[in-house]
Amino acid sequence: MAGFDLTALTASFGGERVIGPLSLTVEAGQQVALVGKSGAGKSTLIKLIYQRVAGHAALVPQELGLVNALPVFHNIYMGRLDEHANWYNALTLIRPFRKDREEIRSLLERLDMKEKLWVPTASLSGGQRQRVAIGRAIYRNAGLLLADEPISALDGPMAHKVMTLLCERFQTSVIALHDVEMALAYCNRIIGIQDGQVALDESSKRLSANDILNLY
Amino acid sequence: MFASPTVRVSLLFVAVALAGLVFADIAITTSNPWRDLGRFFLGVVTPDFFSTEGLATALLRTIAFAFVGVALGSFFGFILALVYKAYPVRMFCAFIRAIHELFWALIFLQFFGFHPLTGVLAIAIPYAGIFAKVYSEILDEADPEPARLLPPGTGAVATFLFARIPDCWVQLRTYTAYRLECGLRSSAILGFVGLPTLGFYLETSFSQGLYSEAGAMLVLFYVLIATMPLWVRPKALPFYLVAAPFFLGEGLPIVWGNVARFFTEDIVPAPLRNNEGLTALGSWFGDLMISEALPGIWNTLLLTQIALVATGLLALLAFPLISTHFGGPVRRTSGHVALVIARSTPEYILAYILLQLWGPSMLPAVVALALHNGGIIGHLIGRQTNGIRLRPDAPAGFNRYSYELVPRVYRGFLAFLFYRWEIIMRETAILGILGIYTLGFYVDSAIQNIQFDRALVLILLTAALNIGIDALSRYIRRRLALQTMPTC
Amino acid sequence: MSLKLIRKFTLSALLIATPFASAMAQTFVFTAIPDEDETKLVERFRGVAEYLESRLDVDVRYIPVKSYAAAVSAFRNNQVQLAWFGGLSGVQARGLVPGSQALAQGVEDEAFVTYFIANTSTGLEPSDELTDDVRGKTFTFGSKGSTSGRLMPEFHIRETFGEAPEEVFSRVGFSGNHSRTIRLVEAGTYEVGALNFQVWEKELADGTIDTDAVRVIWKTPTYPDYQWTIRGDVDAQYGEGFTDRVRQALLELDDPALLESFPRSGFIPASNADYEPIRKVAEEIGILD
Repeated sequence: MAGFDLTALTASFGGERVIGPLSLTVEAGQQVALVGKSGAGKSTLIKLIYQRVAGHAALVPQELGLVNALPVFHNIYMGRLDEHANWYNALTLIRPFRKDREEIRSLLERLDMKEKLWVPTASLSGGQRQRVAIGRAIYRNAGLLLADEPISALDGPMAHKVMTLLCERFQTSVIALHDVEMALAYCNRIIGIQDGQVALDESSKRLSANDILNLY
Repeated sequence: MFASPTVRVSLLFVAVALAGLVFADIAITTSNPWRDLGRFFLGVVTPDFFSTEGLATALLRTIAFAFVGVALGSFFGFILALVYKAYPVRMFCAFIRAIHELFWALIFLQFFGFHPLTGVLAIAIPYAGIFAKVYSEILDEADPEPARLLPPGTGAVATFLFARIPDCWVQLRTYTAYRLECGLRSSAILGFVGLPTLGFYLETSFSQGLYSEAGAMLVLFYVLIATMPLWVRPKALPFYLVAAPFFLGEGLPIVWGNVARFFTEDIVPAPLRNNEGLTALGSWFGDLMISEALPGIWNTLLLTQIALVATGLLALLAFPLISTHFGGPVRRTSGHVALVIARSTPEYILAYILLQLWGPSMLPAVVALALHNGGIIGHLIGRQTNGIRLRPDAPAGFNRYSYELVPRVYRGFLAFLFYRWEIIMRETAILGILGIYTLGFYVDSAIQNIQFDRALVLILLTAALNIGIDALSRYIRRRLALQTMPTC
Repeated sequence: MSLKLIRKFTLSALLIATPFASAMAQTFVFTAIPDEDETKLVERFRGVAEYLESRLDVDVRYIPVKSYAAAVSAFRNNQVQLAWFGGLSGVQARGLVPGSQALAQGVEDEAFVTYFIANTSTGLEPSDELTDDVRGKTFTFGSKGSTSGRLMPEFHIRETFGEAPEEVFSRVGFSGNHSRTIRLVEAGTYEVGALNFQVWEKELADGTIDTDAVRVIWKTPTYPDYQWTIRGDVDAQYGEGFTDRVRQALLELDDPALLESFPRSGFIPASNADYEPIRKVAEEIGILD
């Protein structure tokens, strides 16, 4: 699954509607940035899409969802647990296979944290943890990426590096971003969310930063 | 203040305990209790490590039984924890943990006899029930997010191994280590019914007034428990687990015919065994209820309620001993030592010692239960107060205690206390073996008279009582919205 | 750390499969009811084990137990083949093991006696019968399963007062064994107690009793007590005539030090029928079904 076509997206929290009802169609090859002020419903929308595509997407949630007690290697390896038999996975817990080690090491190299391969994620900094969650999403090898503020804890150069990598590895993506410049630079479609509704939906070529800032 | 539900519940329990005191037998009957107590303390400070040839062996056996019993209990408890959601499993676990280790030992003694299996199973079975409950609580606490992020089609086993276990591994390990310490205590008291652990020799020395010998054993036991962090290392654990079964001693061979006989004859109520019909069974049961079960239940409840409140009072009085908000490091260190001794001594041994010194009544049992359990809770809430940051101009001394600290830890304190309610009742029942007229007294009498049918009915009643108290305790904790942590 | 998890569970699984070492096929094992201080018992019965080993050509081992019931259960479960029982425990054991028989008893056991003792502070005086003066006092038996420390005193209390001990005395306890009964009454923990007269006489002779603090107030009529009981299947297990050889060995035991430790002046033949009176009393009191 690369693109999707969803209708009647809606979510309520405590009896109050936070999203929708709205419809959303994303074609294969589109890099969508979700923008809008905090509390507008971006995170909820991402989760909603993830549910509706029944998990057939790589997800980077805001809270990352890392297993703190496991090393970086295993947290990334978890992206492909479904591809191996139980015995293979169990053995990997004890002693990973060379092939997987090599693959994950080279992925970490792209994320600039090769030396952290065997460090438990609990002892990493916020930015490093975020990159582990991104690593897991990339390793997942899905056609669609759903990411909620994936670069919020990364400094400038690293943020650009990660966004480049994400665009390179995922044909299609929906990424919630609060950084308007980044959105315009790396995505080809911008969707603005306001009070749970789509307030803006344009190709990024036709937008400037000022157009988007109206949403805030 | 009296409008607060926690205060009202506390006062209700205090009132019940005070009313209980009216009915309870709490006399000191020894003509000179302090002389014996003095001689006992003299014995503890002048321990004689070389009088009993079997002391080293007993210590080794105590450790071996604890390791094998706890390892098996943890293994089966873990498996049960995986299916703990199923109602029959919960009931089964509640049942096996409602029966005290000593009762299990008394049951197995009847058909396995003095075989190591008796001691191993006596620990492993109730511990499996406890492990199942706590492990499942810990597993439920694991962060669900990583599991949600796994690709669809990930197998249950892989999900469990990667997304569940690692996240609660530390809690599982901490709790298992704590249980190992409990296992050492359980293992030691199994000696009181004849297994070759420390309690065997302790009873021998103590009943003969050889206080220096008894003191040596107690001192060794404290050292064993206090040094656990030094010798129970993750790296050494496999070695211990492999070695432990070989240090259980050989005991006496099992005769399997006895097992069959126990289940098909011994525990069948006498009137049924002798084909006397249902009327005879009715009067047999009625007689058992009126002459043994009801007095036993009454005394067990009475003692439990008094001991529970005494435990609470002691814990509230004891926690400043280790709190950083009072006193200097010297006083606090001695406070730590006092609480470690109080909680490391199995309440059965404490009660045994006090009964020998003060004579038979409920008083030694109350004091023993309060010292042991109050020591545990006092330690836990004392540690909790150390996390509290007081404002710089907070009052000192008693005002600090009553205005700043107690109100802040009181809910946690009640949670711990209600959590231990069931444990105190289990212990209360078992103390009957020492001669206090609780259910254990009648169980022991039935076993001494070789009437296992009566013993079994009484044990089942004890278990039912425990399950009832456990349910009541959970209800009260829920009503008062008290949080409990399983590591208590 | 996950490695450790796996290791631990594998090991636990191995543990279950590990058979417990138990290689003592042809050892002849015996026990005795724990009616006195254990140190004394271990010393005494190790001597007996050595003596029997020299006479029977099999390994003989004594195991100490913590209660009368444990002695009976071990005998019943064939974990011990011979036991030094009291009157009541012997009756219980032989009832549970068809074919088992009383082999020998001490010379003194034909006419055994229970002593009622009292702390001197009670002012109770020696008398020819159990008087009403003991009413309302605190009282201790020995072990729950003891003949001289429980069964016979309870029988006489019920016969004298027509009431259960709990109604006659203000507090009733079980000291555990005869030595302990002396200590507890001596210390005043209990005001009155009942015990095996042999233990009393021996401790008196050894000078371990404070006669200013405790004295005998009543002696019961005589009854049969301790005996050696053997299982019926030992001949099949240890060879034809084994029972007779054990009986012979016990009857010929004449080591004065060993006899003194019991204390008995010697052993004489005994039969199951000798203990009928005990069985009747036990049934009357409700200890036997």
